[in-house]
Amino acid sequence: MGVVERYHATMIAVAHTYVRTRASAEEVVQDAWLGVLNGLDRFEGRSSLKTWIMRILVKTALTRGAREARSVPFSSLAGDGGEPAVSPERFRGANDAFPGHWTRYPRDWQSMPEDVLLGHETLDQALEAIDRLPEAQRLVITLRDVYGWTADEVCTALDVSNGNQRVLLHRARSRVRTALERHFDD
Amino acid sequence: MTEFSKHLGCQEVVELVTDYLEGTLTPDETTLFEQHLNFCGGCVWYLEQMQATIATVGRLREEDIPVEARERLLATFRNWKRS
Amino acid sequence: MIAYKFLRRDGASVFTHFRWPLPNGGPGPWVEAQVAPCRSGIHACRPSDLPLWVNDLLYEIELDGDIAEEPTKVVASRGRLFRRIDAWDDELRASYTRMCADRALKLAQSASPPLADWAAVVEPSIPEGPALLGFVAARISEEISGTSAYDAERGRQADWLTQRLKLSR
Repeated sequence: MGVVERYHATMIAVAHTYVRTRASAEEVVQDAWLGVLNGLDRFEGRSSLKTWIMRILVKTALTRGAREARSVPFSSLAGDGGEPAVSPERFRGANDAFPGHWTRYPRDWQSMPEDVLLGHETLDQALEAIDRLPEAQRLVITLRDVYGWTADEVCTALDVSNGNQRVLLHRARSRVRTALERHFDD
Repeated sequence: MTEFSKHLGCQEVVELVTDYLEGTLTPDETTLFEQHLNFCGGCVWYLEQMQATIATVGRLREEDIPVEARERLLATFRNWKRS
Repeated sequence: MIAYKFLRRDGASVFTHFRWPLPNGGPGPWVEAQVAPCRSGIHACRPSDLPLWVNDLLYEIELDGDIAEEPTKVVASRGRLFRRIDAWDDELRASYTRMCADRALKLAQSASPPLADWAAVVEPSIPEGPALLGFVAARISEEISGTSAYDAERGRQADWLTQRLKLSR
């Protein structure tokens, strides 16, 4: 059961980005485990077990998600105008002196009391911010920063390019930082 | 960023922070990034905010497996083993 | 090869926060690093690079092993801090900051038309110190006469520092 427990949380989180409800996500994970167990004797060890399990999960989730008319729009990334990491009004205009420089510096969080930065409220805010992310961003930041997967592991498991994965990570982290900044500034 | 860039603006720097932390900037881009940070306290604080954000996110963990979910999984395993 | 290295006030590297063993009566011990351009390796300045990297403390550093010269820095696989350049103290830092501020104001005010918005940025930037003012002066120069003027202004700054710090070129 060690493997199941270790992966279960991640798998629910991932599945939940493809389907509407948590109940659905749990069913997806169940189906995925069946796929894993059935395929175990065919697993050739070319990728890590973790990656292989995740690919089965993603395939299962995509099928279910497509049926529920919800899928992760990875394709929507390529070369779009994108969202800025920081709201443009925080910077001086192109025709000003010091164009592109901060109009008002961000705060020095290191001078904040440690129990605030490390406290429960901060965690809650981060969790809320992640919950509000678009699916693809939530997926990548969850795997990379919550569960500590490497970039290569995420790219292989989700079948996305390193560049796409990085753009998603960048946007997700930027949104979470903005949310934390708003919270601390209040 | 063109090869003739001698310096970056803060608005560009904040878009490069993820690449910098991932180690995917080119050597020249890295140099420009660090040169900017050397004179811009605002961007140093931004980078530190980003690092603190990542550290905060890293402290989030899914709660324990809900009991019902675990029971269902165990049942699945037992049934599978039998077939 | 002799070069120069700025450190933070606490003796740590500016970007990697590596705690350098400091010279004490003689050179500090050798430090080894893998050289991958701008990823790792020991970074140091030639005199012409100094304005780009100004920071709290300045040391003379002896570099050895694999040495790569890059446009605005030198990267080596071995280095040891030789001696602290005491002349780079709070007073000289303030002097350099003032020099750059005066240059920035002069450039902005004598442009035609005068760059009032840029001039307005100068005094408020002074508390942030020499690195920012050095950039502002060079940037204003560039605004008026292009990228070669940026380089020229940085060159003036490097000359000022080399002279006042009595560094060998």
